[in-house]
Order: sequence, then structure tokens, then C-alpha cells
Amino acid sequence: MPLFGKSPKTPHELVKSVKESLNALVKCTAGEKKTDKASEDFHKNLGALKFYLCGGEDDKEPHSEQVVALSQELNKTGLVISLIQNLSRIDFEGKKDVVCIFNNLLRRHIGTRTPNVEYIVTKQDVLFDLIKGYENPDIALICGQMLRECCRYEALAKIMLYSPEFYRFFDYVEVSTFDIASDAFSTFKELLTKHKALSAAFLESNYERVFGSYQRLLNSDNYVTRRQALKLLGELLLDRHNFMTMTRYISSPDNLKLMMNMLREKSRNIQFEAFHVFKVFVANPNKPKPILDILLRNKEKLVDFLTKFHTERSDDEQFNDEKAYLIKQIKELKSADEAS
Amino acid sequence: MAENVLVPQAIPLAPDEYNVVSDHIGELAFINDDGDDLPNFFRRVDSQEIVYQPRRRKAKLVGKYLFGDVLGEGSYGKVKEALDTETLQRRAVKIVKKRTLRKIPNGELNVQREIQLLKRLRHKHVIKLVDFIYNEEKQKKYMVMEYCVGELQELLESTPEKKFPIFQAHCYFSQLIDGLEYLHSHGVVHKDIKPGNLLLSREEILKITDLGVAEAIDWFDSGDECHTSQGSPAFQPPEIANGQEMFTGFKVDVWSSGVTLYNMATALYPFEGDNIYKLFENIGKGKYTIPDSVDDKLRSLLEGMLQYKAEDRLTIQQIKHHDWVRRKHPTTPGKVKFKSLGDDGDTLRSLSIIPYLEDLHCSDQSDEEYDDEQIFSEPHYNNSSKNNKAVVSEPSTDVKQKKKKHKGGLLSSCKQS
Repeated sequence: MPLFGKSPKTPHELVKSVKESLNALVKCTAGEKKTDKASEDFHKNLGALKFYLCGGEDDKEPHSEQVVALSQELNKTGLVISLIQNLSRIDFEGKKDVVCIFNNLLRRHIGTRTPNVEYIVTKQDVLFDLIKGYENPDIALICGQMLRECCRYEALAKIMLYSPEFYRFFDYVEVSTFDIASDAFSTFKELLTKHKALSAAFLESNYERVFGSYQRLLNSDNYVTRRQALKLLGELLLDRHNFMTMTRYISSPDNLKLMMNMLREKSRNIQFEAFHVFKVFVANPNKPKPILDILLRNKEKLVDFLTKFHTERSDDEQFNDEKAYLIKQIKELKSADEAS
Repeated sequence: MAENVLVPQAIPLAPDEYNVVSDHIGELAFINDDGDDLPNFFRRVDSQEIVYQPRRRKAKLVGKYLFGDVLGEGSYGKVKEALDTETLQRRAVKIVKKRTLRKIPNGELNVQREIQLLKRLRHKHVIKLVDFIYNEEKQKKYMVMEYCVGELQELLESTPEKKFPIFQAHCYFSQLIDGLEYLHSHGVVHKDIKPGNLLLSREEILKITDLGVAEAIDWFDSGDECHTSQGSPAFQPPEIANGQEMFTGFKVDVWSSGVTLYNMATALYPFEGDNIYKLFENIGKGKYTIPDSVDDKLRSLLEGMLQYKAEDRLTIQQIKHHDWVRRKHPTTPGKVKFKSLGDDGDTLRSLSIIPYLEDLHCSDQSDEEYDDEQIFSEPHYNNSSKNNKAVVSEPSTDVKQKKKKHKGGLLSSCKQS
């Protein structure tokens, strides 16, 4: 609360003033004289709103009853949604205030309920607006911060995963602006790994579409995308929650071929990440015939290749153990006819 | 006779008053390693030379780690605070002696397994193995880990009520479940979840530690069957107490976490017994009560986690969705905080390395004290050529080295050549 000056506004008044000043700002066209005034008004009000909700610098918990009233008022007027829709009109500090307000609202608990998460569930379009925010460099990182907060809540993560908008991420992670691409990638990864059971079910039921698109990332011209995608793929496959997805992935000869090619990539880092996916194919005790055939056909070459593979990693015991295991496995491979 | 006394009798200080001495007693075992040092040990010292002084810390470097005070002691060996002299990060080093290990059933195997597992795990709530050094000469393993303030067990015991306020128990429990979810997603069954194996960092982040008896399940095993368990008896589920040959691993951790939560919230154990047979008999029967003070939500969670049959027990997912876990618990007064380790009132447990650093860089002791150190320091491996075999070139920094370093200036001495 301000130390001196006018008596503090009630939640109702505060929300109203932010809303009105936002409307005024939206109406102005750039370059007009009154734009500056409207912008100044709005940012002052926004700052007050943030202060009310999140408290000052000193980590003091704001007054809880007023905050409850404020958050109800915000939801009633849909102010948060209009703030996000007009994010690009807000200045740098103001954008950070919006992140703070939005994230703070999501975190509010009443008993076991998170009322503002429930509110967003009824206004799903906000999530899609946020996702599309990655297309606008001015607001991309700001939207990313809010999206990752949304990812923390299973209900919101579920909406995003199962929406067609999710597949936009496959484009966003490849954009040429590095910070946007990597921010998008971390949101993407969060969605696929945060809620294990949810994402496992999602990957299983949408296997074809997801891994069809994922293939593009693995073949990307962008080195960072390719490497990050490969690393995430390894993590996903080796997570026990994704057991079904893993078994399906390692039954496809195309996937095996891709990994074998990546083992020979120019970049040693990509070779190394590819090794961690490749090993799953070889270690599988129930290799389907097409996989077995490929491995058998390349048996000698693979043994030779792996023996010389990253020999300088002598201090990485685990890697060497795994490599030795793979070599042994490949040496002992027998075709189905031989075995019987 | 009054002038000449034997060293051990000549120091009437309490062991913790005179750190060098108490430190040394633990190291006595070296006598058997190298008979040549034996006569050196009982050396006559003029009583005038024995000066009562505030405890002096002897600087000891292993690799790039400068050791500080002892943080704790487990069955496997000491844990000391340490400072990474290159990055200046605070660390904890678990020192495991092969000699001690041999006396513990499966000791060596367990440590090996723990190192292997920790190397491939990386999660906020699982202790991180930062570095690993093996000194062949001294037969010691140094496991360098991220620094933690202390165990939950210690925190529990420090209070008269031996329990946490609900919000605090909730805070630790939800972190435990996050960590377990990660372990399980990597196919690791911990098998020994208990407050004694849960550490807290400075930021009160819970870290699951001690994966000595953990088991990694094969990638291609769709189930999670386990056959052996060496966890702590009071935290074992009925299937283990009854000696079943096979049981589902993940549900063992769920049970133990249930007992842990029960203990944190009530100060009691659901099952007790005068000896392990009685205890296992009681667990095997599966009859327990939850005190009336426990509210309904928590009661239902505990009952869900302590289901007699593993298949009826809650899964980690179900626990995460349980109302008690999702609830925000109001902060109540009486939060349990760490007490100071010594009697210096340092409840924040600040870095104990500073005196050692001073010793390392600014030591200006007179020569006779160097002599003192010579007796107390470890056998002089540095002078022997067999030292080359050791992974770390310098098992301990003794006086000669220290002097050399000192000349090299402060900065250069921080680096290991």
C-alpha cells in the first residue's frame, strides 16, 4: 500500500482503472499525441495492480482477502485475457508486470483448488494466444514465461498437448532467432516431460503425428535443433513411463536407419546423442525381424565402427560399459533362422 | 619424568577441542599398512612444547578439494565438508575406506552401484555426484557431492516433539514424491527411503540420497520385479517382512514414503517391535493405527500408501493427485530449523573451510609445530614413488608441500598442477 497520498483503491476500482486505461491505449493509433498520455496512465495503473497482487520487493505476502477479491474481479472482467491479447502494446516493464500478475494468479490456492487455473480452463483460447505469441519476436519470450507457468498445471498442459496448436511448436523450435527457438524448445520439452503420465498417454495416442513431426526436427538444418531434439528423444524413450512409445519406436527400421546415419554425423556431440538412442535398438531383447536384419547386415561394420567410436572418452565408465555391451550384443547376433 | 611425556597422555583436551588429535585417531589404521611409521608415532615431546591453543585446522587437499570439518558419520565412513578450490563451490565429500567396506555385507558392491546410478541421474531432488576420486594408495574412495545442510532425521530428532508441523511435512513430502517419480521413471527403485536418507540443501530443497541398496530395473522389463532388499526394517512393506521372493519394486518405495510421512507428521512409526523379528511379525500382520490427531485427508493418504497388498497401494501418480498433496497448507508457527552443530550458535551452518584456508595459505607456524604435524599427518606418501599409481597425485598435502605452495603465492596454490 502506498505510504502516503490518496487512500488505496478497492480491488474493483483498481481493475476498472486498468481496464479503462487499457481500452484508451488500444483506441489510440501510434504516433498520436495522446498515445503517450494513455500509455503512461495505463502503465501506472498496471504497476499498481501488480503491486497489489504480488507485493513489493520485500517478499511480504499481500493481504489475502483483498487479493481474493482482486482475483475474482480480474476473472469477472476478463482483464487478464485482454492484457495478453494486447501484450505487444505494453512496454517492456509492463510486459514483465503482466507475467508477474498472470503467474501469480495461477499459483493461488484455495484448499485443493486452484481457481485461476480453473478459470483459464474455461478460457482455453488464452493458451493458444500465448502459444502464437512465439510468432511475434516482441512478445515471444514473455509468452514463453507464462506458458511454462501454465505447463506446471496438468489441466492446462493437457489442453495444450491435445490441441492442434501444439504442432506449431515444431516450427517455433526451428526459427532462426536463437533465443526464441530455445525458449520454445524448453516449453516444448516441459510439455512432453513435466506430467509423466499425461505425456505418456499423449505420446501413445498421438504417436504417428508427433513422431512424424519429430522426424523433421531430427533432420533439421539447424544444428542446435537437431542436437536438442535428439537429446530429448533419448530422454523420452528411456523414461519408463513411455515404455509403450519406446517399444514402438525401436520397432521401426526407418528409425534405426536414421540413428545409424546420425552416428556418422560430422558433429561428435550429435554422434554421442545418437549413440544413446541407438543403444536402445540393440539392447532390445525382442528385436523385430526388420531391425535384426539391418543389424545383421551391418554386423561387421558396426562392430568395427563402435570399437573406434569416441575412444577418447576413456574416463566415462558408463559409456564404455555400454559400448562394450553393444559390441558384445552385435557380435552375438544371430538371424532368426540360425537361432532356431 | 615431568619433562618428558608421551603424546597421547599429554593432551588432556577434549577430542573436539583439539581437532588434529581427534582427526588422527580415526586414521590410526595406517599403522598396519606401513610398519615403518610405528616407532615414529610414540614420540617423546617436551612438555613445554605442548601449548594449549585454540584448535588448529590442518589443511588437507584431495585433488582440488580442500577439506573442512566433519559433517557426519555413517556406517560407510565420514562425510566432510569441502571446498572446490577451482570453482569455490561448497561440497560434501563422502569418504569411503575399503577397509571399512570389507566388514559390511555387500559393502563394496553397494558403493559401486551407488556411484554408477548417481552418475546417470540428474534431478533437483536427487543428490548429485559431482566428482569421484579413488586413491589407490590409501584405499579410499572420495565421493564429492553437492553440499547439503543436514538430514531430515537429524532435524526431526532436534525437536522435543520429534515431528514437523503439517505444512513442513507437506513441503518435504511433495519434494520426496517428485524425486521418486524421477527415480522410478529411470527404472531405479530406491528401496531405502527414510528420513535418514533425505537431505536438505541450504535452500531447503530435499535431496534423496544413499542409493547404496537401490536397484535399476532393466529397460526392457515392462514390470518392476525385485528380489532383494536391504533397506531399513521399520520402513519395509509386508511383502518384504514376510520374506516374499518377488515383489514389485516401485510400491516398496511408496510404502517407505508412507512410513516416512507417518513419522514426520506424528513422530511415531506405524509398526514397531522390540527386535527385528517382532517388528517384521507386526509389519507382516499389517495392523496399525493412525493417531486421532491426524486429519481425514492425511489419514486417507497414509492409508492409501500403507495398503497391505502392493497392488492396492497408491501409485506415485495417485499420490500426486491426492487432495492432501495438492492442498496448500497454511504456514503455522513452530517450523523446525537446523540447530548449530557445535556450541557456537551457528544455526546457519556457515562454511567451516575458512580456518583450513588460512592454514593452507597463511600458515606461519614455527618449525617445532611442523614437527608436531609430521607426527600427526598421514604416512608420507608424497615422497614415495609408488604414489604415481594413485588417481589423484596428492593424497594429502603435508607440510613440505604446503611450504612449497606458500612460496608460489596464494593464487597459484589454488591450482593443482
